[in-house]
Amino acid sequence: MDQIRLQILTTATVATASENVLLSKFSMLTRFHAGFFRISLSLCGQVLLWKTLSEPRAAAAAVVDEPANALLRRLPPAASVLVWSLAFVTLVVLCLLYAARCLFCFRSVRAEIRHRVGMNYLFAPWISWLLLLQSAPFLQPDTSCYRLLFMLFSLPILALDVKIYGHWFTGRKQFLAIAANPTSQITVIGNLVGARAAAQMGWRESALCMFAIGISHYLVLFVTLYQRLQGSDSLPATLRPVFFLFFAAPSMASLAWGSICSSFDVSCKMLFFLSLFLFASLISRPALFRKSMRRFSVAWWAYSFPLTVLALAAAEYAQEVKEESADLLMLVLAALSVLVTLALMVFTAIRTGDLLTHDDPFIPEKSPARAAAC
Amino acid sequence: MEQVSAKQIPCEELPSLLQSAAAKEVAGFDSVECGNGGVISQTTQPAAAPKETEAVCSHLPAYNEPQDESKHSYSLSISLPTSPSGFHVLQAKQIGSPRTESTQLPPPAAVQLEQPKQGKFHSQPIPAVSIDGKVATMNGKVPDRRVSGGGESQQRDKRFDSFKTWSGRLERQLSNLRGKPQDLESGESSIIEAEDVPAVDRYFDALEGPELDTLRVSEVSVLPEDKKWPFLLRFPISSFGMCLGVSSQAILWKTLATSPSTSFLHVSITVNLVLWCVSLALMSTVAFVYLLKIIFYFEAVKREYYHPVRVNFFFAPWIACLFLVQGVPPTVAEKPHNALWYALMAPIFCLELKIYGQWMSGGQRRLSKVANPSNHLSIVGNFVGALVGASMGLKEGPIFFFAIGLAHYTVLFVTLYQRLPTNETLPKELHPVFFLFVAAPSVACMAWAAIKGDFDYGSRIAYFIALFLYVSLAVRINFFRGFRFSLAWWAYTFPMTGFSIATIKYSMEVTNALTQTLSVGFSVISTFTVSALFITTIIHAFVLHDLFPNDIPIAITQKRPKFSKFIAHLRSLSSDMEAAISKDSLEI
Repeated sequence: MDQIRLQILTTATVATASENVLLSKFSMLTRFHAGFFRISLSLCGQVLLWKTLSEPRAAAAAVVDEPANALLRRLPPAASVLVWSLAFVTLVVLCLLYAARCLFCFRSVRAEIRHRVGMNYLFAPWISWLLLLQSAPFLQPDTSCYRLLFMLFSLPILALDVKIYGHWFTGRKQFLAIAANPTSQITVIGNLVGARAAAQMGWRESALCMFAIGISHYLVLFVTLYQRLQGSDSLPATLRPVFFLFFAAPSMASLAWGSICSSFDVSCKMLFFLSLFLFASLISRPALFRKSMRRFSVAWWAYSFPLTVLALAAAEYAQEVKEESADLLMLVLAALSVLVTLALMVFTAIRTGDLLTHDDPFIPEKSPARAAAC
Repeated sequence: MEQVSAKQIPCEELPSLLQSAAAKEVAGFDSVECGNGGVISQTTQPAAAPKETEAVCSHLPAYNEPQDESKHSYSLSISLPTSPSGFHVLQAKQIGSPRTESTQLPPPAAVQLEQPKQGKFHSQPIPAVSIDGKVATMNGKVPDRRVSGGGESQQRDKRFDSFKTWSGRLERQLSNLRGKPQDLESGESSIIEAEDVPAVDRYFDALEGPELDTLRVSEVSVLPEDKKWPFLLRFPISSFGMCLGVSSQAILWKTLATSPSTSFLHVSITVNLVLWCVSLALMSTVAFVYLLKIIFYFEAVKREYYHPVRVNFFFAPWIACLFLVQGVPPTVAEKPHNALWYALMAPIFCLELKIYGQWMSGGQRRLSKVANPSNHLSIVGNFVGALVGASMGLKEGPIFFFAIGLAHYTVLFVTLYQRLPTNETLPKELHPVFFLFVAAPSVACMAWAAIKGDFDYGSRIAYFIALFLYVSLAVRINFFRGFRFSLAWWAYTFPMTGFSIATIKYSMEVTNALTQTLSVGFSVISTFTVSALFITTIIHAFVLHDLFPNDIPIAITQKRPKFSKFIAHLRSLSSDMEAAISKDSLEI
């Protein structure tokens, strides 16, 4: 009798223990959200930047440029493959984790999709895949494999467009006036990245289509975000780094239009200058970011991608306007983006625990869903 | 101020009186050091009274009689204010026993001298009698104020110290340097705290009107409203609007003289030369005066900067300078130096970073709340810079500023057209400030034409937008009525002038009778408006003497006055009383 009781007890303990392990794994999944794709966005953006910079460019007259060019050309192609692989692996891991979350914690995912910040990060994986595709060292844009992959990654973006922009347009709740926040610009960036990829493949009409969708919604969003209407909920202080997206969107737009027009014309320049101005405007307000810098969180990764995109646009600009100051600007921005990404990688390595400390931010406190969440 | 006359006392008898009186100085006693308030002779000319008093004082021998120490003579002084709106009751003290050996003193007949030094009494602009003389409901850091006499005062008027640079310490230093040492007031702390600048909500709560320049009935001003403030304090930043108006006229007449499509008018280039010189002189004068204001009244400048409408006028000096560069007569300089452009655009860039950054992320100053037509001044600066830079031959800089201007103009245009309910500054009625709507598209059209090299579709689209806005305002000219003239109106003339110049440029591209007629017509309208405004300004300056009224909008209180309803009620009562009194006096 006692032995049976003992057996039951031990089985129960073992079961609880494994349940605990499972629960802890699942609780990690609840705390993992689409915002983590900021990491993959940054890394894929970095890869694209490296690829762009290391391409042979038209010789500029600058003294500044020569050593930089020489340095970049001296980097072995193995280095770029390495960086690409790192980005690829990170993206795959993140996608798998998110797939697991969808499978086991669907409630959390549903809550996330409805959240005004969470819904925008659903674009992030597809943007990362597109960036990775563009910077793939072994795939050329005119192969059918490339085209297939492009369609695979851009169709979800279009589907999400219809869902989210349609919601702005006709939804009964969550009007744009209330729901608009700086992360909404990721939706615009998604369209613009798709447009650029399409233009580089030679599919001009699709490129124009995605560009038109992106830029028209960008116009509405820009005005709404600037107005900061009464009643629009403000972002929590920890999410302030997403303000950097303000200058990511026009930079991406200038790159996309440059690819469509095959030259960096006046409109591209104007968009680039706008993003430069917004960048200057944000870095001259360090007080805005002070609260969010107190504690490391995954939101810090939001600093890297916009800087990378700005550096990319600066590279295109410098190539068009062959001037010393433009080259210098490009180098400064590129260096800044590399430094910031490296710093973030170091921080993540040191404080991995901090990344997953916060509970699921998308399910409100004290709700039955939270109690029932896996 | 009324002065109760005292009996004339001969000079020989004064000494003993003074000895007894000057025995002990009672703290807070309202008297001048040279004598008891009650015994100084009153002369027939009040204006000469101070000098007379001093002359009398100088004859007095020094005190040396100890037995009268205990006898103090106090005085009751009542000063009635110059305007019927206030009533100041000073400390009433008991009357000392008169001495036997001297003449019977008249009962408390204090002469309120023009130079009181001691005592802290605060003037009140509201018609309430307050015994203890404290200003009601101000915040803890009320600046020290003196009741000053009605006539000339050799002592500095301390009431404006809170608005001076470093609370008046700079001025004291300068006077010390000049060799006229100001006496430091003993018995009061020499640290006068400057009031903090009110938050933006206070400006909206306390002020009303299309330019946020009228104090609401329930508010009080920090500075006395019935006295004329120092000139520098009354000199607003919107005076730079005059420079905008005149310098844009100079550009108009230069374009009329040099453009081929208006060559049939045979306008001489001398007009441009004259106007340019006038505007240069005006700009220098206004800039100099405002520089003085910055040096001496920095706190007042700070308050103007935080005013939601006035902040836009901080762009006006730089825009006016850019206009001067654009309108320079060919005889003076053929091609200005590029460095000048960078020097002028740098302040505009810094101001923009601040103001657009505030729209995007700066706390309470959200665009949905503070948007008003004067914000166009901040946008136009970009387009003017682009135009001038492109005319000088620069390439990237003009595109940079054009891009920034276009992006933010879109935002502002949509916001103003929406007339959001949360927007508190939009005027409910038509006001000349609405003409600023025409400014941005007109200048943008010219800037784009200069950047591109020809008047292409982009410029034409911008021009037609400007045309539509202009016509839409012009047909409502009937509704522009009932406003008090203010210097800021000059700033609203430059859009009309800018539009005329754009029309001339358009007629250069598309030359036919219609466009030429339009150019001439709009130029005539703008010149006429500027002339009319000029005459009105002259009248206000020299005939009516109210070109620079007290700048109330910068003198609002930090917090809402506690008895604001009471104040509003009393104000309405007193204005009724005044009306009744004036009616009575008329009848009599």
